[in-house]
Amino acid sequence: MDDQGCPRCKTTKYRNPSLKLMVNVCGHTLCESCVDMLFVRGSGNCVQCDTPLRKSNFRVQLFEDPTVDKEVEIRKKVLKIYNKREFDFSSLREYNDYLEELEEIVYKLTNNIEVERTKRIMEVYQRENRDVIQKNKAKLTHEQEELEELLLLEQQENEQRRLETLQEEQRQLQAKRKSKQALLDELERSHVPATILLAQHKDRATQLETQIEKQKQVVKTTIFSTGIPMGQTVSLQPVVRIMEALYSYQPIDIHTYGPQVPDLDQLGRLGYLNHVRAAQPQDMAGGYSSGLACHRAIQDAFSGLFLPLG
Amino acid sequence: MFHNSSQKKSWTFKNEDELEQLRHKANQKYRNKMLASGKPAVSDSLFLDLHEEEVLFRHYEKRLMDFCNAFKPVMPKSVVGTAIMYFRRFYLNNSLMEYHPRTIMLTCAYLSCKVDEFNVSSTQFVGNLVQESVSGQERALEQILEYELLLIQQLNFHLVVHNPYRPLEGLLIDLKTRYPLLENPESLRKSADDFLTRVTLTDIGLLFPPSQIAMTAIMNSASRAGLSMDSYLTECLELKDNKEMLSKMYDTMRRIKTLMKKYELPKPEEVNAYKVKLERIHAEFGTNTNLKRKRGYENDGHVAKEPRMTEEEWTDDDLDDL
Repeated sequence: MDDQGCPRCKTTKYRNPSLKLMVNVCGHTLCESCVDMLFVRGSGNCVQCDTPLRKSNFRVQLFEDPTVDKEVEIRKKVLKIYNKREFDFSSLREYNDYLEELEEIVYKLTNNIEVERTKRIMEVYQRENRDVIQKNKAKLTHEQEELEELLLLEQQENEQRRLETLQEEQRQLQAKRKSKQALLDELERSHVPATILLAQHKDRATQLETQIEKQKQVVKTTIFSTGIPMGQTVSLQPVVRIMEALYSYQPIDIHTYGPQVPDLDQLGRLGYLNHVRAAQPQDMAGGYSSGLACHRAIQDAFSGLFLPLG
Repeated sequence: MFHNSSQKKSWTFKNEDELEQLRHKANQKYRNKMLASGKPAVSDSLFLDLHEEEVLFRHYEKRLMDFCNAFKPVMPKSVVGTAIMYFRRFYLNNSLMEYHPRTIMLTCAYLSCKVDEFNVSSTQFVGNLVQESVSGQERALEQILEYELLLIQQLNFHLVVHNPYRPLEGLLIDLKTRYPLLENPESLRKSADDFLTRVTLTDIGLLFPPSQIAMTAIMNSASRAGLSMDSYLTECLELKDNKEMLSKMYDTMRRIKTLMKKYELPKPEEVNAYKVKLERIHAEFGTNTNLKRKRGYENDGHVAKEPRMTEEEWTDDDLDDL
């Protein structure tokens, strides 16, 4: 694979590792120093295709193939206009057609096919869909903001964690140093044989070590990067089936302290309804029927009639 | 339905003695409270005794009924019945000396309008105090609203009252359907209605289920018209084989009728004498509690900040022409 290089000054990455290649809208490369030199006045023409260019439009080349960079640039621009999303369409078919149209435009612009015509199509589209474009733009920026907020939060969390571990290490170091110092002091002053002191110190040191180890284990992350708590094992075993007694309906037993009231649907047959005002059509619209009122009156008449008193 | 109502559970009492005891307790409670308050002018002779309270209660109850009957738009009977029942229930556990019946009766009527879905606005309601000026009506309304919550609380939040009016309708329908022996059941309606109206002014509603009251009204009406309906009880209600229940039914009806007969309108001279006493009690002890209540409300921002002496300005005579 040949080295990348500036087509004008022929410098390559090999010869100048700090070489920075730039791309403009036409998709042709230039190195940074050539850009600085040629576009001192802010604008000029492309060395290879004579397209009028602005210095501010130069971007660092990210891909090996500069046309990819060009395409990315163009796609960004086109997507600013063609920013409809799936739920703006009534059917998947329409959405797919729209996406295809979009790809067509990007392809044509990248490969310089019918550039003028395509640009006209884009302009027409932009004029026709101004409202939708504006609306979607606002929505997109809003989503972007949310995402950024989330990222920021994550970053803060990471920072916090880093600081904590740093402090922890500091503390441990200090503890070790202290114990060493204590040993030296003791050796200096104590009358106990040095071997015993050393053994004691060793004991203490191992104790400290295990303590630290334990702490480390405790401090150790409790949450996966996905946000799932570590202790929570995703069990793949089948859930234990809990058998419960099925609900069985028990008819309620209401003691009315009175004579038997005929059922609602029996009222008509028994002739009760002949003695109440018939329901008007406008009453029935609300679900009323003369049987309801009649039933209620009879229920009230019989309820508590035989209630034992005194 | 009555059979699982709060009325059956909490507001149907065994006998007249139980009611008497409750009223006595309420009266005593107020006396003790006042005696314990250590006010200088308190003496036993000042208070109303049970009989005096009863006379005044009847007087105001009649007032309430008249007010409801003169109400415009016309108040349905069940609303009137409910209002009077509230009034009765309220003074079962409270003394007339503590809460002035003038205010409570209007509050009862107002509340019953709401509960029984008789839709009148509050201004329309106090607009029926025809003797009052507009500002007087506003003051009355203020008082009604002030006492409404107290009333609901004293009713123990049991707001549904089962009146005997619907049972009467039900019985008439049943008679028409199942008891062809009776030629014209509708002819019984007039006097049965009158009967129920008089029932509302007695303690019967606190002692018997509404269905039994309605049945008594019909039987009474029939016997007045010279008709016998005993076979309705035995045949249609299947009491033929249940002699015990049948005799109990007759017993109940007899008791209701005696209670009805006992009722008499209070004598005007008695009423006037006791009213003076009542007003004195309220003037001396009543306002204090009221003011305290009012202040409490004002702090909550419920009532406009005007500690008016409404009790004094708004007197009984305003209602006299109803």
